[in-house]
Amino acid sequence: MSVAELKEKHAAATETVNNLRERLKQRRQQLLDTDVAGYARSQGKSPLTFGPTDLLCCRTLQGHTGKVYSLDWTPERNRIVSASQDGRLIVWNALTSQKTHAIKLPCAWVMTCAFSPAGQSVACGGLDSMCSIFNLNSQTDRDGNLPVSKTLSGHKGYVSCCQYVPDEDIHIITSSGDQTCVLWDITTGLRTSVFGGEFQSGHTADVLSVSINGSNSRMFVSGSCDATARLWDSRVASRAVRTFHGHEGDVNTVKFFPDGNRFGTGSDDGTCRLFDIRTGHQLQVYYQQHGDNEVPHVTSIAFSISGRLLFAGYSNGDCYVWDTLLAKVVLNLGSVQNSHEGRITCLGLSADGSALCTGSSDTNLKIWAFGGHRRVI
Amino acid sequence: MFFLMPLKSFNFCPFFFLFLHRREMQSGRLKTVVSPIPQRIRSFQAADTRGKHRVQAELKRLEQEARFLEEELEQIERMEKASAASKEMLGNVESKPDPLLPVTNGPIIPVWDQWFEGPQEAQGCKCWIL
Repeated sequence: MSVAELKEKHAAATETVNNLRERLKQRRQQLLDTDVAGYARSQGKSPLTFGPTDLLCCRTLQGHTGKVYSLDWTPERNRIVSASQDGRLIVWNALTSQKTHAIKLPCAWVMTCAFSPAGQSVACGGLDSMCSIFNLNSQTDRDGNLPVSKTLSGHKGYVSCCQYVPDEDIHIITSSGDQTCVLWDITTGLRTSVFGGEFQSGHTADVLSVSINGSNSRMFVSGSCDATARLWDSRVASRAVRTFHGHEGDVNTVKFFPDGNRFGTGSDDGTCRLFDIRTGHQLQVYYQQHGDNEVPHVTSIAFSISGRLLFAGYSNGDCYVWDTLLAKVVLNLGSVQNSHEGRITCLGLSADGSALCTGSSDTNLKIWAFGGHRRVI
Repeated sequence: MFFLMPLKSFNFCPFFFLFLHRREMQSGRLKTVVSPIPQRIRSFQAADTRGKHRVQAELKRLEQEARFLEEELEQIERMEKASAASKEMLGNVESKPDPLLPVTNGPIIPVWDQWFEGPQEAQGCKCWIL
């Protein structure tokens, strides 16, 4: 077959795919009889009200000398690892504000960090295209630096995000500017599976974020510059289980909902969205005008432990607290007393849900907890 | 001269640039392509073959995508409406105790208030790591 004939077939196939996508979009639209907020209102759900001092900044963690790009909590004992433009990871005891480790990185251009489930190791990745593992119990070298205990190399682009598979310290999932996600075996340093890429169906642009399902650790979602999120089964690397369309810009951040049947996304289009993993439905859009016709990008999100609250950091310094059921902003942590002086770049909830940690371009991390009067029903 | 491109809207490394790839716009999205460095003049026939393989690979990908979309269209006929998912979500959210909510299900766990049991702005360890 000649190139010209192939190109004709290509054009026909493109039209087929576009028609199928349009049919799918319309059929899906017919099934969207309500969004979450519409349903919650029909059930008479009361709005949340937060007093001005209900969510308080109770700790400020100082020590980085550059913007904080990423943070992660341990599953226990309230420790946090943070990664910064200063080329370091710091491990904090969030309760006492003490630093337990300050790790100078071989490559200063770090973008992501993660705590292992057992709390013995931390991982990081960035523009060196590698994921580096540090054992927190190992001896420092003669310069006082913690040595790299394992290097996971194989990505052909920057490592944007990493997360350990829950309940085991052996496997980690990374996302990359090379358009793939990879599941690694840390013991061998080898790739167990590659999701997407040149020879498999997957994202068609840089992948910026991953989130593993806490209820079913075989499932994870990824968010990409191709404006989609994709759900993967780690046992099936050949194709995504489902692709979620809707965003009109890069999907910068993805996070599983606490019940494991939904996940949230944050995008350059200024919206957060909630998707259902079993049906693929877009259940809710979270968007509110910020003022001055600006549409700031969503840079990071986290859910409270019940899922009632969605915390979203924006590129203009706002940090909206959304009521996920009624799709209303109940608080802006970016403008309360004692808030960060720069924009919030990363967010994370403690394992017991009692505290939110925010990291900022002002070089600090802050811990927020509920300091008001709690009513039990 | 090599440069490292700032890869996203991260205000990441404003000074350093290292050319690994040249990026091209494709309907608003960035796509990474490899910039070919011609070593010698290629024959028209060889160039035709390279173009053919690329188009064939792309065609295969589109045919695969079409199959996936047809599968999804079949699945969607058996799918529940969005209200069912909303109902389930409401039930799950309201049944779980949440320490960050002013009104929540019990039981209250005392450790939720650990953040206010010591000095709120801890005096310890404000050292800078240089």
